[in-house]
Amino acid sequence: MYLYLPVALTSINILIPVGLGLAVGLLSGLFGVGGGFLMTPLLIMFGIPATVAAATDSNQIVAASTSGTYAHWKVGNVDFKMGLILLAGGLVGGLVGVQGIKVLQAMGNADFVIKITYVLMLGIVGTYMFIESISSMRKTKVEEVKQEKESALTRFLKSLPLQTHFEKSGVTHSMLVPLIFGGFVGILAAIMGVGGGFLMVPVMVYILRMPMHVVVGTSLFQILFNCIEVTFLQAYTNHSVDFILAVLLLLGSTVGAQVGTVFGRKLKGEQLKVFLAIIVLVVTVKIVFDLTLTPSQLLGQAGGH
Amino acid sequence: MNNFKFQVPSFKLIVLVLCILYSGQAFAELTVTANHSHINVDFFYHGSTMSIRGTSDLGVDLVIKLTSPEGHEVLKEKGKVGGVLWMNVATLKLDHIPGMYFLHSTKKVEDILSTEEQDKYQIGYPALQRHVDMSPVANEEEKTRWFNEYVRFKEDSRVYSTSIGKISVSPQYGKDNYYILTEWPYQVPPGNYTVTVYAVKDGKVIETAQSNIVVEQVGIVKSLAGMARDNGALYGVIAIIAALGAGIGVGLIFTKGGGAH
Repeated sequence: MYLYLPVALTSINILIPVGLGLAVGLLSGLFGVGGGFLMTPLLIMFGIPATVAAATDSNQIVAASTSGTYAHWKVGNVDFKMGLILLAGGLVGGLVGVQGIKVLQAMGNADFVIKITYVLMLGIVGTYMFIESISSMRKTKVEEVKQEKESALTRFLKSLPLQTHFEKSGVTHSMLVPLIFGGFVGILAAIMGVGGGFLMVPVMVYILRMPMHVVVGTSLFQILFNCIEVTFLQAYTNHSVDFILAVLLLLGSTVGAQVGTVFGRKLKGEQLKVFLAIIVLVVTVKIVFDLTLTPSQLLGQAGGH
Repeated sequence: MNNFKFQVPSFKLIVLVLCILYSGQAFAELTVTANHSHINVDFFYHGSTMSIRGTSDLGVDLVIKLTSPEGHEVLKEKGKVGGVLWMNVATLKLDHIPGMYFLHSTKKVEDILSTEEQDKYQIGYPALQRHVDMSPVANEEEKTRWFNEYVRFKEDSRVYSTSIGKISVSPQYGKDNYYILTEWPYQVPPGNYTVTVYAVKDGKVIETAQSNIVVEQVGIVKSLAGMARDNGALYGVIAIIAALGAGIGVGLIFTKGGGAH
């Protein structure tokens, strides 16, 4: 059955957005990512204008991350304190990032910088996470118990003021750490035009040393607020949120997020990290192909990233 | 009696003259009718078909043009950076270009119309190319290259197309009846469109006829599109509340359902 989308100005078979929502929602529930890096290009592929695809995806991530956060909160996997500090940093970083885009555009060839940043970030994060989680899985239990030696970075982080204990995550950090790294992810996410879940998850795992299951729940919690802000701004300034498309997507994604949470609980933290690393690497390879193979069209809509 | 005999040939003459006059009128009249003058876009709209029919002079060639008003378009040009990577490298601006352009003709336009006539009536892609303002393009060669890319982009989006020989023509009562059934893709956005039929003879347009088509959103589709455009803040808040409600709702359903596991 086809439905006409009033803002996208196109007609779509309802099974497509519901199916896409289900698949990407599943990833949200499993890994704590919004999935915009997958959903937006897929929507464009199915004929949705780039600006509407990105804005509407934010709207549906609000639903998927609410569903996912709720599911993770029920099993005690959301660190609200950490999430709020990361969120504060992310919001400030987002504002800085938007200004950064303006500077890049004024310098010319902003697209080049954005694409290269995107590929490098995805590639580095994916490779590091893949190697690290594979090697941790190979370690024996005895080795796992062994305390990791303190790196210079860890020592530096511990020397910072405003140290506080994050009970849910079982870690102690200066409040400045999540604030600064949240801001850093916010800047990059705004420049790349993505939600940044795939960056926030590694920051929480490797820098904040939070347990993977709490990372997923907390990441979804802060993604929820980011996407509320983005949805409102897109609706208010660009008029590019398609409510009907969002509803079709969220029909799938809210259920997908719940199923993902259930699956996630059955997997170990290391397994989750390996799967996420593989997805990030596959997306990296896809983007590299897109960048190097001659495109079928040499003209495209303005507004995509 | 003589008078009567005189009147018979005179009557035949009048009838003959009337016949010539009448049939002459039929030859001169080019008509066009589209089966839809108003297309309603509702929730279940998935495009439509458009049948265009009318009458024309016997033996003339026909060109049928369906087009939107001229407008302005901004697109991203992709190019190679560093000889390896494809990405957006520039912005292409086009002015005086229709967003939609369907052209059907009985024969190849270049074979039946002079270049001047093509340009005068903007018939065919080459005429559109000569008419459009494009920037930045350094020379004519570059303009041709990017115009061809533009046409390819629009054809892939199904809002530009051309066909030759799809118009069926059948003579009847001293005139031609023509007919074409075309697809009206859902990708054609709401707006006002014009169907123009050109009767062509000896390289020139000898007559034109026009009909209008309005594509309009109706019902909930219209309300939502209007709200998104005119009241973005409220629309955004509703979209967010709906998403939050759906997320919590599904969460609650699953929690209840999950209790059984």
